[in-house]
Amino acid sequence: MLTKRIYDEFNLKKQADDLGVSVWQTPSFLFIVMGLVIIAAMTGIYVASTHYDSPEVVIISESLVVILLFTIGNSIIRTVEEVAKANKMKTEFVSIASHQLKTPISEMKWQTELLLAKFSTGLSERQAEIVKEISHSGEKMGRLVNDLLDVARIDQGQLALAKEEVNFCDLMNDVVESQKVFAKSLNVELVSSCTVKHLKVFVDKRRFSVVLDNLISNAIKYIDGSGRVDVLVENNDGFVQVCVRDNGVGIPKNDQENICKKFFRSNNSIKNETDGTGLGLYIAKNIVEQSGGKIWFKSIENVGSEFYFSVPVVDGNKK
Amino acid sequence: MEKKKILIIEDDLVLQRALSDYLSSEEFEIGCAGDGEAGVRMALENKPDLILLDIVLPKKDGYAVLTEVRANAITKHVPIVLLTNLGSISDVEKALELGATTYLVKSDYKLEEITAKIKEILNIK
Repeated sequence: MLTKRIYDEFNLKKQADDLGVSVWQTPSFLFIVMGLVIIAAMTGIYVASTHYDSPEVVIISESLVVILLFTIGNSIIRTVEEVAKANKMKTEFVSIASHQLKTPISEMKWQTELLLAKFSTGLSERQAEIVKEISHSGEKMGRLVNDLLDVARIDQGQLALAKEEVNFCDLMNDVVESQKVFAKSLNVELVSSCTVKHLKVFVDKRRFSVVLDNLISNAIKYIDGSGRVDVLVENNDGFVQVCVRDNGVGIPKNDQENICKKFFRSNNSIKNETDGTGLGLYIAKNIVEQSGGKIWFKSIENVGSEFYFSVPVVDGNKK
Repeated sequence: MEKKKILIIEDDLVLQRALSDYLSSEEFEIGCAGDGEAGVRMALENKPDLILLDIVLPKKDGYAVLTEVRANAITKHVPIVLLTNLGSISDVEKALELGATTYLVKSDYKLEEITAKIKEILNIK
C-alpha cells in the first residue's frame, strides 16, 4: 500500500495526465528540481567559501542562489495557479452549460407532456409510446443536469442547503413509495421499516430525498434478476441511522475505495446494463457530510451491499 | 363559474405557448406577455387572478416586475408564482423577499404539477 503510494507520488507521467499539464510542470517534478537546486546551491556556497576568502565572492554567490531559488519558486507558484485557475474555469463552464441546458430541457418536457395530455387524439399506440420515450429521455436529461449543477456547486463550495426540521420516517416513506413501481418492474421486493416513529432531523428535505432516492435506486438497479432491498431506519445514540441493504452484485474489492469519487462507476458484472453517471454517491456523500452526518458501506461481490448514513437527531432540549 | 384569469410573463415562446395551451384547456383565461414592460402593463390593465413570472426577461427583469406589481394598489395582492430556471437559494430568497407567493424551477416541474399548484393557490378543487 505504502510502496504503491510512493510509486504514484513519483509517477510523473500519470500525474501530468491527471492534471492535464506537461511532465516538467508537475508538482513532483518541480519538487525534485527544487531539491537538486538547493543541494547544488549549498555545495556551491560551501565550495566558494572554502576556496575564496573574499566576503564579496560569498555575498555574490549567495545572492545568485537566492535569485535562482526565487525564480524557481515563482515558476512553481505560477504552475499551481494555472492548475487552480483551469479547475475553476472547468467548474464554471459546467455550471453555465448546465444552466443553459435547462431551458431546452424544459421546452422538450413541457411539449411532450402537452402532446400526450391535451393533443393525443389521433396518435397511434406506437406514436404515443415514442413520445413517452422522448419524455422519459427529457426527464433523465433534467436529472443529469441537476446532478452536474450540484457537483459544480460542491466544487465551488456553494452547495447551500435549505435546512428545516423534518420527520425522517415520513421522508423515507415518501421516497420508498415513489420507488416501489421501479422496484416491481425489475422484480425486486422493496421493504422498509422505521423502528422509531418521531425521529426529527434538521436537513434539506428535497436534497435528502435525493440522497435516499440515489441509495435505494442503486440498490434496486444492481440486483441481477430478482431480489430484495431493505431500508431500515433506527435511532442510534442520537443519530438517525439508515441502512439500505440489497442482495445484488456487490462492489468488487478493488473499486471500493473509489466508490464515492466523482464520475466513478464500479466494474461490476452488470455495469453495462445499468444507467448511471457516477455522480449520485459523490453528491450524497457531500450532502450528508454538510448536514453533520457520515456515509459508509459494506459490500461483498456477488453477495450484496449495505449502504449506511447517519445524521444527528434534533435535540428537543437544545431548541 | 367565471374563468380565472392568468397572466403568463415569459419570453421563451415555446414555453409560453405550452403553458398557455395547457392552462387554457384547464378552464383558465390566459393572457401572455413576452417582456417585463408589457407584463407590468397587462397586469395593471387586466388585473389577473394570478401571475406566472419568469426572472430573466427583456426590457425589465422579473424582480423589477415583481416590485412594480406589488407597489401598485390594483395588483398588490395578486398571487405571483415565479417560474424560472435559476435555482440558487439566494434567487429564491430574493424573490420571496420581494413578495413572490412561491417559486418553481421550470425544468423540475411538469405542467400538471404547475397547474395543481395554481389551483391550490386559487383554492380551486
